[in-house]
Amino acid sequence: MTDKNAVEVVDLVKRFGTFHAVDTISFTIRQGEIFGLLGANGAGKTTTIRMLCGLLKPTGGKATVAGHDVYREVPKIKKSIGYMSQKFSLYEDLTVKENIEFYGGVYGLEKGQIEEKSTALIRELGLENRSNTLTSSLPIGWKQRLALSTALLHDPEIIFLDEPTGGVDPISRRSFWKLIYDIADAGKTVCVTTHYMDEAEYCNRVCIMYQGRIVELGSPSQLKEKHNLPTMQDIFIQTVDR
Amino acid sequence: MQQVFYLVQKEFRQVFRSKIMIGILFVAPLIQILVLGNAVTTDVTNLKVVLFDNDRTPMSRELLRRLANSEYFIPIEVEDDYTKLSQYMDRFEANLALAIPGGFQRDVVRKSAPKVQAMVDGLDGNSAGIALGYVAAIVQKYNADIIMMEPGLRNEARAVRQVKLEPRFWFNPNLESRVYIVPGLIAIILTIITVFLTGMGIVREKEIGTLEQLMVTPIRSWQLILGKIIPFAVLGFIEIIIIMVFVYILFGIGVAGSIPLLLFESGIFILTTLGLGIFISTISETQQQALFFAWFFMIFGILLSGFFIPIANMPEVIQWITYLNPLRYFLVILREIYLKGSPLAYLLPETFAMIAFGLAVFTLAVVRFRQRLV
Repeated sequence: MTDKNAVEVVDLVKRFGTFHAVDTISFTIRQGEIFGLLGANGAGKTTTIRMLCGLLKPTGGKATVAGHDVYREVPKIKKSIGYMSQKFSLYEDLTVKENIEFYGGVYGLEKGQIEEKSTALIRELGLENRSNTLTSSLPIGWKQRLALSTALLHDPEIIFLDEPTGGVDPISRRSFWKLIYDIADAGKTVCVTTHYMDEAEYCNRVCIMYQGRIVELGSPSQLKEKHNLPTMQDIFIQTVDR
Repeated sequence: MQQVFYLVQKEFRQVFRSKIMIGILFVAPLIQILVLGNAVTTDVTNLKVVLFDNDRTPMSRELLRRLANSEYFIPIEVEDDYTKLSQYMDRFEANLALAIPGGFQRDVVRKSAPKVQAMVDGLDGNSAGIALGYVAAIVQKYNADIIMMEPGLRNEARAVRQVKLEPRFWFNPNLESRVYIVPGLIAIILTIITVFLTGMGIVREKEIGTLEQLMVTPIRSWQLILGKIIPFAVLGFIEIIIIMVFVYILFGIGVAGSIPLLLFESGIFILTTLGLGIFISTISETQQQALFFAWFFMIFGILLSGFFIPIANMPEVIQWITYLNPLRYFLVILREIYLKGSPLAYLLPETFAMIAFGLAVFTLAVVRFRQRLV
């Protein structure tokens, strides 16, 4: 972890009509950090991530991602980030290898690079025997790890994960988080949304969102001390339920 | 351009992996040509006719014989009771009834205006008119022949010099409607394939979430659009060639004009349909919606194109509206090239109209698509 900021958000606002999906939020994510965005459904987590990825134009406020402005430098942002959404993002009717090849190509990698990366990636994931099977036949845990790996093909500085472990069994979730730790160890920044509070414990710092606003921000241990509660689960229920 | 290559490659892999898509692309057109080429016909034949003869003379029998032997009519009954004739039409058993009143032969001989009555089921006005035309032709021929048979009349007839019309129909000598319909099928099938595949292809990626995934990659929207339309344009051209081969093998109808010109005009036309497909994808969230919109536009496009209903038969206001329909121009062009072998010089107004529509629709669709992305 360094002192440099990977993401800086100041007074960011997103309005849909009269509805404030994100209401004047500010936070920073340090380089190499695992940052958790927590909140119930509709709290504004996904909207925030989508603005930072260049998928949505903010209504107001300022934000930079990897030093690039979210209003004017979206193409630069897209080159420096990886993104994986709650929707499964691979093509089920392509094989494992074809998916890797496709995303590698879309990210502008050279042919030789794609070949190299896909062989390495398939070995890492233990998919040697299944590289030519259709992605639809993979168990969901593997699909998710494959999706994450393809989002990393272009070696981005920052990874945004939007509820990456929704609908996955606990064992697969654990191995997925192992992968997230490996990414952070490699010096990359991870921003992840979740509503599993056990996952919140894995983050370096978390912010809890409620009705478009940030209601708590800090490391899990800081928040537990402040509220004098034993788990993130308790803190979440207390902050959101008041 | 590398990114576009990978997008196109991906699209082709998906298409050729799906049995349903292969069916839609290659089997469905064959069936459509077979069925529509044989069924969509404006030829009126096999008309069921019920006959009534109250004269029972050689002359009345001769007229009925000629009618019954005509290739257009199938006599189903000789009815003795005049009042029952209409019942055949009520029960849809006959399209036409022909009644010869008593004294027919006598009137012919006496030159006192002999009459026969034809009753036609007028539900389908077009067919009814044509059926009546057939009857009129038979009666006219009969008139000419009986005049010559009667010694008393023959000399009078000779005194009158008659002008005889000898018609020759160009480009479709036997006036077979299939010859006219089949080139139009190319337009219809091409429209269906390109509008549907483009629209559904984009919306499907929206549904499964891969479109969003693509949008966070550094890919530009024009690359994304090219990656979507190149595969379907290529498939469209393959489709045209398949149809031309099928049509030649099945019906013996070949292209009279230049095939490169036909492909060139098709390329202009596809601009509109691909644009429409992209536009549909911007107003639909699900594949069902896309399907509905695609049908909505295509029903109007096809009905107002002159494929089934001649544009000249439409009310004037509707005729103006058809000028806004690119399919109308493409149908004219296809028929001209296919049947007459017309060169580009004769097709310039239609070609320019299609270019204008193609560019307008395509540009609008792309602008809208890009706005929707961010």
